[in-house]
Amino acid sequence: MRPIRVLIGMLGMDQHEVGAVAVARALRDAGMEVIYLGRFNLPADVARAALDEGVDVVGLSCHSWEYLHYLDELLALLRVEGAAVPVVLGGSVITAEDARSVTAKGVAATFGPGAELAEVVSTVERIARAARAA
Amino acid sequence: MSERSSASGIPLRPCYGPADTAGLDLEERLGEPGRYPFTRGVRAADDRRAGWIQRELSGEGDPRRSNAQLHMLLAKGQTGLDVIGDTPTVACMDPDHPFARHAIGTQGVSLCCLPDYLELYRDLPLDRITLSHSLPPLFTVAALHCVARQRGISPAALRGSVVQAPYYCEDTGYALQLPFELRERMSVDSIEFAAAEMPRFHAFLEDTYYISDGGLDAVEEMALGFVEIRGLVRRLLERGLPVDRFAPRIAILVNCRMDFFEEIAKIRATRRLFARMMREEFGARDPRSLAVNVAAHTSGMSLTAQQPVNNVVRGTVQALALVLAGVQAIEISAFDEAYRTPSPQAHEVALRTQQVIHLESNVTQVADPLGGSYFVEWLTDEMERRIETRLREIEARGEPAALAESGYFRRIFQDAMERHARALSSGELVRVGVNRFRVPESEDALLREVAESKIEPYHLRVEEIRRHREARDAARLRARLSALRERAVDRTANLTPAVIEAFEAGATVGEMTGVLRMAHGQPADPFGRLADPL
Repeated sequence: MRPIRVLIGMLGMDQHEVGAVAVARALRDAGMEVIYLGRFNLPADVARAALDEGVDVVGLSCHSWEYLHYLDELLALLRVEGAAVPVVLGGSVITAEDARSVTAKGVAATFGPGAELAEVVSTVERIARAARAA
Repeated sequence: MSERSSASGIPLRPCYGPADTAGLDLEERLGEPGRYPFTRGVRAADDRRAGWIQRELSGEGDPRRSNAQLHMLLAKGQTGLDVIGDTPTVACMDPDHPFARHAIGTQGVSLCCLPDYLELYRDLPLDRITLSHSLPPLFTVAALHCVARQRGISPAALRGSVVQAPYYCEDTGYALQLPFELRERMSVDSIEFAAAEMPRFHAFLEDTYYISDGGLDAVEEMALGFVEIRGLVRRLLERGLPVDRFAPRIAILVNCRMDFFEEIAKIRATRRLFARMMREEFGARDPRSLAVNVAAHTSGMSLTAQQPVNNVVRGTVQALALVLAGVQAIEISAFDEAYRTPSPQAHEVALRTQQVIHLESNVTQVADPLGGSYFVEWLTDEMERRIETRLREIEARGEPAALAESGYFRRIFQDAMERHARALSSGELVRVGVNRFRVPESEDALLREVAESKIEPYHLRVEEIRRHREARDAARLRARLSALRERAVDRTANLTPAVIEAFEAGATVGEMTGVLRMAHGQPADPFGRLADPL
């Protein structure tokens, strides 16, 4: 079976990459393919890259609140012919309340400031497999 | 790593004694406070200015809201101002850029044209307080020059600083998307201009805080800082500026993490290394050129989203280290740092922390109280040696421009980020509430509501800036922007006077930056979303 492909990126002007780099590395170490889109993307840029690259999961690093304002547009763009590329969010600014509200909108998982890298890796893997099975 | 070690990996022993400092000529290596080599501080022990500038990072929303914030902080006893721009402002982008929209005013103040700066500083005593800025230096120096004149204050009376980090900003989360040559020139031009026009202003504030708060250790922080200081000094000398004309206004803004003695030793070592370097390598003679003012921010990265109240304690420990090291200005990263720029409550706690240390602990009565400690002197020496070794090693690899181009610096920052993440995740780096003594989320309530309250993006700014653009004299603006481009094409001219003239014709920072990019053969908008301003 081909390896799980994950896109890692950030939205708008959010550019503190500490978390994104650490997660990208951990996913690669676990045998996944990481498309590192990096900084400075609008929702359309993320969606285009995700669909072109055929990724299983989109992972966004969130170190500013901008993601909350971009999320609806991104989720809509990732929904193609009834199926949607799952989105996971990680970052220190994601509060428990934010996690509840974005999960209600359709985000597959969120990782707050206390998340372990191992937990991120296993969750991404589980979500990717479930999406492939669907 | 040995069983005991400092945060940057220096092996430590359980106790230090006379044998550890026996090889050091302490008289030569310490001197007296206020005397070469300034290990013990830049001010004489009986200097009446002893003490430090107490300030907190400020700026949120639009210039009007930030102005109110600055007035409030001065009313609470703050002794200087410290302004940071929001992410678009720091990246030289106007608020109506398509990428800027949801970041307007959320992590600093939105500033893009001269009326913004006038509003930011409205009714503030600009000639009586120091104004520190985490903002693009060329535009800040130019705007302050205009604001002072419009307020009837001589620019020569302005005190304060603006941060410089031209070599590393692209790689550390503050990308300007400008070519190296232009970034360096914008720094050198602003420093040269301020040396002549604003001689009390520290336009050359080397900022090692923000380059290091992604995970660099204290040795890497200062080694990279010195590489940049030395690079900019060389460029200024190449312009024919005498070293004693600008060196008195070099200052360094350092980080302060949790390793108490290592941070103190770092600051003492930095002063000594700077003094020796300026005297022996760059031929400075004015004692003020040898004595470097050190300001500090306590580490935002050491703070945690879990149990925000613990961050108050961290800030206190770090600020005490800075006071004992004898710095000239302190900003404590506030307890809500993991989530936001400081709330009014966090501002107040951080400022009160400084005031309690200053006025209640009695630690300020004696200069360099740790001087002569076996351990502190040994560690100061060790830090100096390691910082110098590392900086020479980097310089031996090539010119900063080539190193930036090749990704050498970026790798240092990336490795540090990964190292930090691994150390935190493995528990090697202890954070109470994160990898030790965690509490369930349901019990983690103290100060949480304050820390999590959000600042909404100032979408109204988009319309405001559009109206500003429409109200300008288009022909005059175009002439001034063209003049700026011509200046920029002529690589020997100083850009600052042309930036001042463009500001006065209503130009925005985004437009001017676009024109500068064009003069260096690049598209005006690196995101490819805007039309060229000329």
